[in-house]
Amino acid sequence: MTEAVPTVVSQAVPAKGRGHKQKSKRRRNDNVMGYLFISPWLIAFLAFTLIPIIASFVLAFTNYDVLNPTWKWVGLQNFERMFTADPRYIKSVKATFYYVFAAIPLRLAFALAVAMLLNTPRRMVSSYRAAYYAPSIVGGSVAVAVMWRQIFGTDGLINAILGTNVAWLGNPNTAIWTLIILAVWQFGSPMLIFLAGLKQIPREFYEAAGIDGANGWQQFWHITLPLLTPIIFFNLVMQLISGFMVFTQAFIITGGAPLDTTLFYALYLYQRAFVSLQMGYASAMAWILLAIVAIMTALVFRSSSYWVFYGSQEE
Amino acid sequence: MRSRLSVLAMLLVVAALVLSACAPAVAPAGAPAASDAGATVDTTAAESTGGEPIELRVAWWGSQNRHDRTIAVIQQFEELHPDVKITYEFSSWDDYWTLLTTEAAGGNLPDVMQQDYARLEEWVSRGLLSPMDEYAADGTINLADVSESALSGGRLDGKLYGVNLGTNSMVVVIDADKLAEAGLEAPALDWTFADLEALATALHEKLGIWGFSGGLSNEQLWKNLFLSQGEWVYNEDGTALGYENDQSLIDYMTMVKRMQDAGVTMTREQEIAETGSSVEQNKIVTGEAAMTYIWSNQIVAVATAAGEGRNFILVPMPRPEGGASANYLKPSQFFSITSQAKHPKEAAMFIDFFTNSVDANKVLMAERGVPVSSVVRDALGPLLDVPQKQMFDYIGEVEPTVSKLPPPDVAGHANLITNVYWPVVWDPFLFGQQSAEEAASALREQGNAVLAESAQ
Repeated sequence: MTEAVPTVVSQAVPAKGRGHKQKSKRRRNDNVMGYLFISPWLIAFLAFTLIPIIASFVLAFTNYDVLNPTWKWVGLQNFERMFTADPRYIKSVKATFYYVFAAIPLRLAFALAVAMLLNTPRRMVSSYRAAYYAPSIVGGSVAVAVMWRQIFGTDGLINAILGTNVAWLGNPNTAIWTLIILAVWQFGSPMLIFLAGLKQIPREFYEAAGIDGANGWQQFWHITLPLLTPIIFFNLVMQLISGFMVFTQAFIITGGAPLDTTLFYALYLYQRAFVSLQMGYASAMAWILLAIVAIMTALVFRSSSYWVFYGSQEE
Repeated sequence: MRSRLSVLAMLLVVAALVLSACAPAVAPAGAPAASDAGATVDTTAAESTGGEPIELRVAWWGSQNRHDRTIAVIQQFEELHPDVKITYEFSSWDDYWTLLTTEAAGGNLPDVMQQDYARLEEWVSRGLLSPMDEYAADGTINLADVSESALSGGRLDGKLYGVNLGTNSMVVVIDADKLAEAGLEAPALDWTFADLEALATALHEKLGIWGFSGGLSNEQLWKNLFLSQGEWVYNEDGTALGYENDQSLIDYMTMVKRMQDAGVTMTREQEIAETGSSVEQNKIVTGEAAMTYIWSNQIVAVATAAGEGRNFILVPMPRPEGGASANYLKPSQFFSITSQAKHPKEAAMFIDFFTNSVDANKVLMAERGVPVSSVVRDALGPLLDVPQKQMFDYIGEVEPTVSKLPPPDVAGHANLITNVYWPVVWDPFLFGQQSAEEAASALREQGNAVLAESAQ
């Protein structure tokens, strides 16, 4: 995607520079036709993305509550309240960071481990790949969340196997881990990207290292991992963004309970918007979430110069 | 090719004109004939008139059982009124309110909506419901066989905003066989919390099961507690809590924690981890608990799920020492006409049909609670099976002693329950992070703040 943009621009610029009257007229017609062709997308983008975004920004400064037609400007009051007078908000931020910092590294590590296994030349390896990818196709769905609730329920599978009678979902120490395990289990898409990255590492490196007497572990640390850092970086950014927006799993499996330990940001936002009907406050929360994700992503980008290794830099 | 197309177009235009001209003649003839052919012609004609047949929209929440019964009644109504076509929306309780608030914001509410006593005031205060007195006065909605006590829940400021679809009251269900097995007696109708704790503990100790299923921290019991003391949880304008003294709440909370710690009832931890929340999955159904509490209309679902050969005893809710009845007769749900209704008159006719038609109620079979019309109740009497008969009898039994119907929940209720009642009051208490005194004063401080803000 990012590579395609410059090519388009470089073709467009000289055409404009020529400046023939007739040509520019035809160009304008072409443009109209072009916009017409993409109009379904444009209309949908305006109606379902841009206008709601603007509306939510405006609402963030009001006390709009859906049912009541009279609402007024409250300035920065919504934002002020979040950080000074809403203990549940602070809890939700904490729960979300806990989840992101626990689930994302684990998921990436697990994805890499499975990708390494599936990178070995074996019979049937492509069917294994398909099989291991499957959980992430169904992962975000309601059905899996419902299943997870059954598995970790008091009379669920886990208790049956362990012979225990633990309320995994009701205990404040374990409830969030059921969600983290679910996140780790959905390792499919980073795994696929890791697999593609692994395939690009030239075999000669391993052969040379093998001749020099490096064992498998050393090869992993000194060849695989450094050459894979751009892929890890990409996966980290993508997973970080989606991690902060986690909703479905918590909504269905724990509903934020117990003691708000699984009250993720998006879930609390939903409660404020659709249970308490404080749409203005919820909109303000959404914009803060955007800021948090932007800052976290920026930090990862900033840090990348210290640990991400691009092959071309060294040459 | 081209000429053939224009011929086709002309034929269509002619057909449309002819059919629409026929419509008034066909419609009355088609309905009583009721043959398949007649019905088809009728529909076609009606549709082509462009707006002649009225489209009435109806929405409700409930279980699959309720959906099936309600749709069958809608079909009965459509057969009687071929000029009305009813489209319907139904969903579960949670989705229903998300859907309907979205529709309200978009100015797209159905004509008839099922309403809940807890939300009625909020919806009326926002101008989303129309009063029905006009239709009650001209007889479109016939309320001659309905007692005023059954109707009063739907009145606000003297105007009727909801017609009660059935009467309910909360009830403690006791497994009669478990009680006999433990050699214990059923409690008196005016039993207290102390009696509840003693009976549940005895059942637990003798049988090794939960004496009481759980749910004792539910906000419904908080309300019952103060109702029984002649108070109410909210003040009149909904800006603060309505009771002065926290002591009875502290005592009650301490009792619930004691029962949970002793294993007599499910702990909060176990309640949260419960895999199912529907009444069919109640622990009394599976025989893991000897007592539970439900709304009286749910006894049918409980008995059905429990299966043949099970016996249940229904007793009123327990009360604090020296209190009055902790029960009241609740309108289970209403039908309301929304202020965005396009056909309020037909909406009123539909509500009348639901309330007074014996045929319709033979299909509904009191699934929404004991019907409000005495004529309907009498007609259903001989048709009832055991759990339904128990429900009718229970309502009759508690009716003379119940406390007055408390006012509907205030505007800040949902906000208070989600943001204060559970996360700040009960959960930290039951998980041992704060004392009952701290919990009760947290409810007072933060609850008052939320209520004051929501009431603005």
